[in-house]
Amino acid sequence: MSMEEQLMNLKNEALSLILSAEDGKTLEEIKLQFLGRSGKLTLALKDIVKVPVENRAEVGKLANEVKQAVEEALERQEGFVKKETITKKRAAIDTSIPGIQPQIGHLHPMTQVMLDVVEVFKQIGFQAADGPEIETDHYNFEVLNIPKDHPARDTQMTFYLDTRNSKVTPGEVILRTQTSAMQGRVMQKVKPPVRVIVPGKNFRYEQVDASHGFEFWQVEGFCVDTHIRLTDLFGTIDYVLRRLMGQDIKLKFATTNFPFVEPGVDTYMECTVCKGKGCSFCKYAGWSEIMPAGMIHPNVLKAVGYDSQKVSGFAFAIGLSRLVTLRYHMDDLRLLTNPDLRILKQF
Amino acid sequence: MLAPLSWLKEYITITLSPEKLGERLTEVGLGTEKILHENGDTIFELEITPNRPDWLSMLGVAREIAAIENKSVKFPVLQTDLKPKKSTQLLPLKIHPNYKITPRLTGIIINNVKVGPSPKWLQDRLISIGLRPISNIVDITNFVMWELGNPIHSFDYHKIEGSEMWVKQAKGGEEYESVDEISYHLPKGAIIYEDSKKIFDLVGIKGGKNSGTYEDTKAVFIVVEVDDPVLIRKASQALALRSDASAIFERAVNKGGTIDALKRTVDLILQTAGGEIASELIDLKEQDFKPWKLSLRLDRLEFILGIKIPEKEVLTILDKLSLSPKLVKGNVIECTIPTYRNDLQIEEDLIEEVARIYGYNNFPKTMPFGQTPVVTVPYFRDYRKDELVKRLLTAANFSEIYTYSLISDQDLASVGIDSEKVLCVDNPVSKDFEYLRPTLKINLLKALANNKGIAKEINLFELGKVYMGKSLDNITETYHLAGISNTKSYIEVKGLLERLFEEHNIKKNPSDYMEVLEEGVYFEIPYSELFEMTEEPRIFQSIPKYPPVMEDISIELPSETPLGTVMKDIKEQSTLIKEVTLLDQYKNTVTFHIVYQHQEKNLTTEDIKPIREKVIASLEKSFSARIK
Repeated sequence: MSMEEQLMNLKNEALSLILSAEDGKTLEEIKLQFLGRSGKLTLALKDIVKVPVENRAEVGKLANEVKQAVEEALERQEGFVKKETITKKRAAIDTSIPGIQPQIGHLHPMTQVMLDVVEVFKQIGFQAADGPEIETDHYNFEVLNIPKDHPARDTQMTFYLDTRNSKVTPGEVILRTQTSAMQGRVMQKVKPPVRVIVPGKNFRYEQVDASHGFEFWQVEGFCVDTHIRLTDLFGTIDYVLRRLMGQDIKLKFATTNFPFVEPGVDTYMECTVCKGKGCSFCKYAGWSEIMPAGMIHPNVLKAVGYDSQKVSGFAFAIGLSRLVTLRYHMDDLRLLTNPDLRILKQF
Repeated sequence: MLAPLSWLKEYITITLSPEKLGERLTEVGLGTEKILHENGDTIFELEITPNRPDWLSMLGVAREIAAIENKSVKFPVLQTDLKPKKSTQLLPLKIHPNYKITPRLTGIIINNVKVGPSPKWLQDRLISIGLRPISNIVDITNFVMWELGNPIHSFDYHKIEGSEMWVKQAKGGEEYESVDEISYHLPKGAIIYEDSKKIFDLVGIKGGKNSGTYEDTKAVFIVVEVDDPVLIRKASQALALRSDASAIFERAVNKGGTIDALKRTVDLILQTAGGEIASELIDLKEQDFKPWKLSLRLDRLEFILGIKIPEKEVLTILDKLSLSPKLVKGNVIECTIPTYRNDLQIEEDLIEEVARIYGYNNFPKTMPFGQTPVVTVPYFRDYRKDELVKRLLTAANFSEIYTYSLISDQDLASVGIDSEKVLCVDNPVSKDFEYLRPTLKINLLKALANNKGIAKEINLFELGKVYMGKSLDNITETYHLAGISNTKSYIEVKGLLERLFEEHNIKKNPSDYMEVLEEGVYFEIPYSELFEMTEEPRIFQSIPKYPPVMEDISIELPSETPLGTVMKDIKEQSTLIKEVTLLDQYKNTVTFHIVYQHQEKNLTTEDIKPIREKVIASLEKSFSARIK
């Protein structure tokens, strides 16, 4: 038998064995049998030196081709056999059984919405700030054009701190009723342009019910520059609320009065629960007051040392607690301060 | 306030449907809370903002509708010229005014009235806005107040003793019985009317029983006054006594409207209760209360609004609002502000007038242009850091809660804190919410207890403020991060905090902030103090090129030896010891796993031998350890 014939026979033998192999172990054995240190093909290749010199190149080429063909066939069959094994393994699993979830806690919905708010405003150049909850009457009211005994104070019934054993005049230190108190604090320290939001907790002396709490969260915001217009306020409110609550929400603006803005604006959003039909959550109005706002009153600009003829600005407050409840269709603000895991686990 | 459509229609033609009208009213600032259909009428329930006392009257609302509908208001016809007939015998009354507290006092005396029930139309009007008819005279004063917006009071003339009265302020503590037979102690500063013997009126808030109009009243003294808003507000707050009149006075009443209101009242009294005018018109005032001028620059209007409203349209809007606009020198409009529009004092107020009637919902929307601030804002807070911290805690199966800052005396006692040392509010909503929390522990413990029976494994955390300070002179208000777990071990929670501290480069021992409670493992970290410092940038350590050598050492230690100290001691024996972990512990025998590694070469058994010997020697010496 010539060397060529011998090689071809070895190739055929190997290939037929490989193709009939059904598992990895058999393939390993075949590999050893032909390509191992003393495998049939390995030994045959060693015999090439015996071939006459003039034929050696040709036979050598064939030998390499045979070796390559056997290796490729082994590889192909290995892949095929592996796939078969995996299929069998998978078939043995009952995939209908629910998965085992990793034990991960939950971020409070208020945090989730607050982070969204901070992010949306960051994109339009607003930085986030944080201020004291124990506030002075000065920043909470006076700077904001709400002198003592102004009827507007009725809508913000105030908690006064006990001044015993201190030098503080009674009535001067309070729990802030609005994050707007930060307008004065920030603007006194920095010149325009200013774009700031202030998320935070506020306190009002109110009886608690489904839509009122004596502690609630707001996000104050204000923007002052050489030329800020009422249309900018409408545009900003529209942009922010659509980014937060979905582009299809319905909004409408109305006139209102807060002493620290003029013109004053109130923003109503169609109730997300009933889609405007009226339900217990929107007090059957179909709309929810969500974002009071307005152009900053000249008296406020003056109080912080700005020239109201040279700069203008707008301010707004987002009812964060309300935004959260509207987003998730929660019908009671008190759910937000209820630490019940059955509530928390939904977020 | 309630405004029946049928009543409004006496002054204005309305073409819009009630629903459309309600929407428009809300847009212009007269918040329409509800539209009720009752007894064939439509009633608007309106929310009146503090700046608009004029809206607390049908005519005020009608004027707003006139502006919306572009129509004019029909003012009630006033017939009487308020002069007594020559033949009538006049009744004397000497008044000592006090213009500082009551800048205007307008009044007249009517004699020979017949007090009785009012006619049906009048009763119906009052009933439709939720008032109870009393008698013709009283009903008329109420009716005219709700029609025109100036509160009116009628006194029984003969009960003003000595026909002489003084306008004064209460000294404080005086007894006073109101017309509805409730006794009060007057607060200091309240405005009162006094005759030679007694206080007979709590001005602007509630009339006195001793001077009211009853069945046997023969002569009435009708008063329409202007009172100081702050004094009215203070007294009404001190007494917790609000009336329709005080709501108007504290918003600042129409100073120019007293004569018209008096005329209307007198007209109706003469028609329904008879009698005749028995005094000259009394109108005590130091100054004339006249309309004032206010200018609006058209370029300023455009600057603030962001749109150009044509001059003609601006003039129309201002005219519809009865502000008598006149274009003077080029682009300045001068308005004459009626006395009932006390809210219009500066140019911006006029800008709002134009904008609201033009309709906020007709404005285009733009975004602010100009420079985005690059300077870090004062009071800046990095909410991203909060998020990273919270995410790590949730990854360890802790869920976040938000709780109240206000807590009770009992709450404080439950964790052994003396409430005397805690900040508190003067006027709590209830005893349950009186103190400002100096720790987050109380609410976390409560939250844990609330979840018993709901979940087996309870891990909760809160990032919130605590308030420290014995008194207001030394307040600190900072964030704390606290958590509680009823199932995790102390070591697990400690590990979580170690990781948290590592990520934020905080060189502290978590155990300093941890407690073992009956309910579980608790931690409370002074977050502001530890996390709000600037972080050092992280420096990358290259991956070691040479493999580590690992071995386990078992030793016997005297009981209660703190293993952490032992492990620290092992690690300190050589810089080549990269890691020491506790592998196993059984009774007094512990096994440590030690990892040796060199940055520049492969370690051999010979390299490690002296280190191991050093470790063992130290363990024997410092901890009386016995090598197994």
